Amino acid sequence: MNAPIIDPLQGDFPEVIEEYLEHGVMKCIAFNRRGTLLAAGCSDGSCVIWDFETRGIAKELRDRDCAAAITSVCWSKYGHRILVSAADKSLTLWDVVSGEKISRVVLQQTPLQARLHPGSSMPSICLACPLSSAPTIVDLSTGSTTVLPVTVPSNGNGVAPPSRNKYPDGTPYTLTAACFNKNGDLVYMGNSKGEILIIDHKNVKVLAMIPISSGAVIKNIVFSRNGQYLLTNSNDRIIRIYENLLPLKDGLGALDNLHKTIEEEDIVEKMKAVGSKCLVLFREFQDLITKMHWKAPCFSGDGEWVMAASASKGEHKIYIWDRVGHLVKMLEGPKEAVFDLAWHPVHPIIVSVSLTGLVYIWAKDYTENWSAFAPDFKELEENEEYVEREDEFDLVPETEKVKESDVNEDDEVDIVTVEKDQFSDSDMSQEELRFLPAIPCPDVPEQQDKCVGSSSKLMDSNQSGSPLSEENGQNGLAANNVSSPLEEDTGGTRLKRKRKPSEKGLELQAEKVRKPLKPVKSSGRSSKAKSKSVVDQDYGNGVYADDGSDDY
Amino acid sequence: MASGGGSQQPTSAYKPYRHVKTLTAHQRAVSCVKFSNDGTLLASASLDKTLIIWSASSLSLLHRLVGHSDGISDLAWSSDSHYICSASDDRTLRIWDARAPFECLKVLKGHADFVFCVNFNPQSNLIVSGSFDETIRIWEVKTGKCLRVIRAHSMPVTSVHFNRDGSLIVSGSHDGSCKIWDAKEGTCLKPLIDDKDPAVSFTKFSPNGKFILVATLDSTLKLWNYSTGKFLKIYQGHTNRAYCITSTFSVTSGKYIVSGSEDKCVYLWDLQSKAMLQKLEGHTDTVISVTCHPSVNKIASAGLEGDRTIRIWMQDP
Repeated sequence: MNAPIIDPLQGDFPEVIEEYLEHGVMKCIAFNRRGTLLAAGCSDGSCVIWDFETRGIAKELRDRDCAAAITSVCWSKYGHRILVSAADKSLTLWDVVSGEKISRVVLQQTPLQARLHPGSSMPSICLACPLSSAPTIVDLSTGSTTVLPVTVPSNGNGVAPPSRNKYPDGTPYTLTAACFNKNGDLVYMGNSKGEILIIDHKNVKVLAMIPISSGAVIKNIVFSRNGQYLLTNSNDRIIRIYENLLPLKDGLGALDNLHKTIEEEDIVEKMKAVGSKCLVLFREFQDLITKMHWKAPCFSGDGEWVMAASASKGEHKIYIWDRVGHLVKMLEGPKEAVFDLAWHPVHPIIVSVSLTGLVYIWAKDYTENWSAFAPDFKELEENEEYVEREDEFDLVPETEKVKESDVNEDDEVDIVTVEKDQFSDSDMSQEELRFLPAIPCPDVPEQQDKCVGSSSKLMDSNQSGSPLSEENGQNGLAANNVSSPLEEDTGGTRLKRKRKPSEKGLELQAEKVRKPLKPVKSSGRSSKAKSKSVVDQDYGNGVYADDGSDDY
Repeated sequence: MASGGGSQQPTSAYKPYRHVKTLTAHQRAVSCVKFSNDGTLLASASLDKTLIIWSASSLSLLHRLVGHSDGISDLAWSSDSHYICSASDDRTLRIWDARAPFECLKVLKGHADFVFCVNFNPQSNLIVSGSFDETIRIWEVKTGKCLRVIRAHSMPVTSVHFNRDGSLIVSGSHDGSCKIWDAKEGTCLKPLIDDKDPAVSFTKFSPNGKFILVATLDSTLKLWNYSTGKFLKIYQGHTNRAYCITSTFSVTSGKYIVSGSEDKCVYLWDLQSKAMLQKLEGHTDTVISVTCHPSVNKIASAGLEGDRTIRIWMQDP
């Protein structure tokens, strides 16, 4: 960030729902590497890319062949490609800029999660974690698949079916969690016996094993962005953080060396011995009182925080811990289960997908920094007794002058060089895709009429069925806006951006105007939505009324 | 502290700019000229309510953009050089397609007074504008919707500019202050000058976003380090007491500061030594706007009512 004057202490983790995104029924989300774009997979098989800066839709990837719900989305390293897995057992690789499909592979089982190889900029290899079968490496260009072993090959071959597919409480659970390491040369898998396996996916070989004390089924396994920490979420309701001891660059080579140096006859014992040199348990997080299961755990962008959602149905609770293990924040949203979670790579922002298909954006509740208005002003927490200096009010004109000229005007200034940012890689072989070009959709003279006409159709998501939390108070706000348009409540210098549904609606309408050929699916909830479109219309008029005042 | 050698070299080897061509197509004062970011086009705005797109190489008139109902004060190019946004006294901004058929794509309505300055963010998904209504507005390019209104100053806003990653906005105003804003939240991060006068007529981030160039109506240009709040360089010699004259950084050969002036000349200073290098004479009225080509040593300048021309200057090979 080229902004040294932004207060570094102004917030580390989010506090409130700042606004929400609404488009169809979104199921899963992923930020690109810089957090400038947010991809969301929808229940109708499309994938929407949001411009996270303007919070508008930048692109929509839609495939005629795929109408099944998206189960996961994943960006390639530099953001040029997106991999989408869907409930119709397909994996689709998209080119983001052109919006064209590069390849599509249909698997035997529904992939619940698919991750692109993180090491290359134009990956064709991915790791798919299908329903009720072992994680598989899929070559998207050829369609060939390699099933990875899910247990240590103690005797004979290691390819064994997952032994326990059910929660103790009876809910079926059949996903074997796996992920690439940062470099992409190893796969870390959490199996149903409660073991973390480190696998050389090229040679399809288990290289190390780390048993988890409880032996409970591992539900999620996630690396931090910098690759130094790994977290697992197990059926014993504990999130464990491990420190990665392997070098980030050539983890595979280091593992091979460990294999050579460690002498051990029994293969399982040897795997354990190697494993103990790869990962070391760092922290355990759990809620001792409610004993809840966790869902969608992940690290913050800088790896300083860990968050997870409560897996209980009917609540939207997000827990945030610091890495030391203290619970620092609990975010509570509307009474809708959390589907997916993501932490912004750079900013203290969390996005959560709710059961209803809305995406909530949690951010810091920014407070005005009044001292910013006077350069030498310092805000005090409480009153302080000020003891003046002996000479404080003496007139000493000389010292004033000295103060003024402490900058040597002859010093060279560099107006061109930019420091490398935290994302710069030594192997930046390819330009990174940071944003999609914004194309202004042409004004249509009769836009107003059109908007009203199409709004009932556009309000297709089941937003009406999801009462928002108090703090968002959408209806109240929307109503207020009829009488007082955006501009009126500034008071100071700042307008809090709590985007109302009506505003979102306007945006969608504009979207609609731009793409008149692409019908937005109506979900038959239009009757409910109709009442809202009235609000939209009023709101729209509110905005335009402001414009009208120009005509004096 | 670097030795003087490095900075003296370009000074001694300075090759002067020479007048190449004069473009006369505007019927009123030309208020702004800007080369596109890819260097292929030049756009000019005028009080005659039109904008003209010129070929930057052949300097031929490609198209005239007609639509505003009042004079135009400023224009900005999107990063990909596909779009132009213009700011007009008719209180609107317009987004134009800079490619055939050169249509006006959007009219951005909301300001309650003359719109005086405009710029795209580097991502070109947002537009920032400043107005005589004392507010800064941030607009979404795609939908043309106003995302944010900032009650920024107590007098007309004379300039607005995004830094290189789009995280900050700098604004200058006749109220004598210059403020830095968080582009995301719209909060004021820092006021830079708080003296009541002189009025700030122009501000702009340096190419790397670390400094701001500030012009004040006491004929002074200052380079400020906004994070420490201290000025680093002062450039003087030109005349600027009434108009919001734009200035810019020239980085294609040596590092220069280029500015218009009310004595009808274009001024070039050495960035480091602050020495005035050249005074380009030829315009017959105040030079209100200057622009440097992004890759070749070419400058375009615009003259006010008594002149109405755009002059192109090139450095000797």
